[in-house]
Amino acid sequence: MNAKFDLSALVDDLEPVTPVRQALPLALSAVITVAAVALIAWFQGVRADVLAGHPDEMFLIRSGVLLLLGGGTAHAVTSMASPSVGRSQDGWQMALAAAVLFPLSALIVASTGDIGPALSAMDSGLRCLGYSLIGGVATAVPMILMLRRGAPTSPERAGWLTGIAAGGLGAFAYNLHCPFNHVVYTGLWYSLAVGVCALAGRLVVPRLIRW
Amino acid sequence: MIAREETLRDLMRLAQAGDKQAYAVLLEQTSRWLARFFAQKISADAVDDLVQDTLISLHKKRASYDPARPFLPWLAAIARYRWVDRLRQTYRHAAEELHDQHKEDSHEDVVGARISIDRLLNQLPDGQAAAIRLVKIDGLSIAEACVKCGQSEPLVKVNIHRGLKKLAILIESD
Repeated sequence: MNAKFDLSALVDDLEPVTPVRQALPLALSAVITVAAVALIAWFQGVRADVLAGHPDEMFLIRSGVLLLLGGGTAHAVTSMASPSVGRSQDGWQMALAAAVLFPLSALIVASTGDIGPALSAMDSGLRCLGYSLIGGVATAVPMILMLRRGAPTSPERAGWLTGIAAGGLGAFAYNLHCPFNHVVYTGLWYSLAVGVCALAGRLVVPRLIRW
Repeated sequence: MIAREETLRDLMRLAQAGDKQAYAVLLEQTSRWLARFFAQKISADAVDDLVQDTLISLHKKRASYDPARPFLPWLAAIARYRWVDRLRQTYRHAAEELHDQHKEDSHEDVVGARISIDRLLNQLPDGQAAAIRLVKIDGLSIAEACVKCGQSEPLVKVNIHRGLKKLAILIESD
């Protein structure tokens, strides 16, 4: 290595930079999520029980878990832009573990023969999938831009997590319209929405952020 | 002598603000730190190239350093990423013959001990760690490694492949 030459070339090339900040992409993703909620409420309407001020328990739990999953995972994704040996970023795992309770519960309940509207309301389920994907893609944009500017040392994991975060936030947005409360419906269609987004993230994001 | 963590952090902050003098000192200090860091992890003739690659990455990704956090763990994360990347490339193309010029004495401060790549290798199954150490770090040929560790040739290749893949995962989860 011609160290002197290389070092001086790098020094000559130095320009001031603004350090990456997690807060900005997180705030942007939050704003996009709110915008997605507003658009869905405008075009599809809001659940009747929410409008009446008496939201169903399943809706509240589902909303909380999706927000925790989306927000916690988005936080982990944006942390990955600024790598550091020894810094733990495992909070998202707890949120994911909580979210996994939905498909698990759905399996148990479905095994008793009670599948509720999970298959009969397939139109709504597909809509849930579609809106979650569209909302998810929008919320993923600030995260991907931050990862591109940063230095993620595990692009594959960053891809999975971006997809999970986007899927969680996108599904949360649709959740405010979704009229169904049955656990099998939730376990099937919401898990599919998050799962498809996660897979898309794993397939697409690493190519965009590798350095 | 290599500057302390606090000094390097201050230099990096100044460099992010565009201070070329501070950046020149930082790069010089960092290249020394990296040379010692890599000395035990890869054959001696590959160290210079790896240091250079890492410095270029540092330059391109300098915005990814958060000035509120310690500098050396950030630098080590960048260095390990480049190291695994280099091992993968070398293995994939089988283009370089590495030589065993393992350096025995290397600077290893508190941060270095925390972030040692050896610690990563210790997290791999014995067969995978041995195959990577012998072929990628000590520079033995596959055949020589087979004799040394008692694994068959296909097994050594598989262990290197799987070990490198796992190393990449460990980098972020460590």
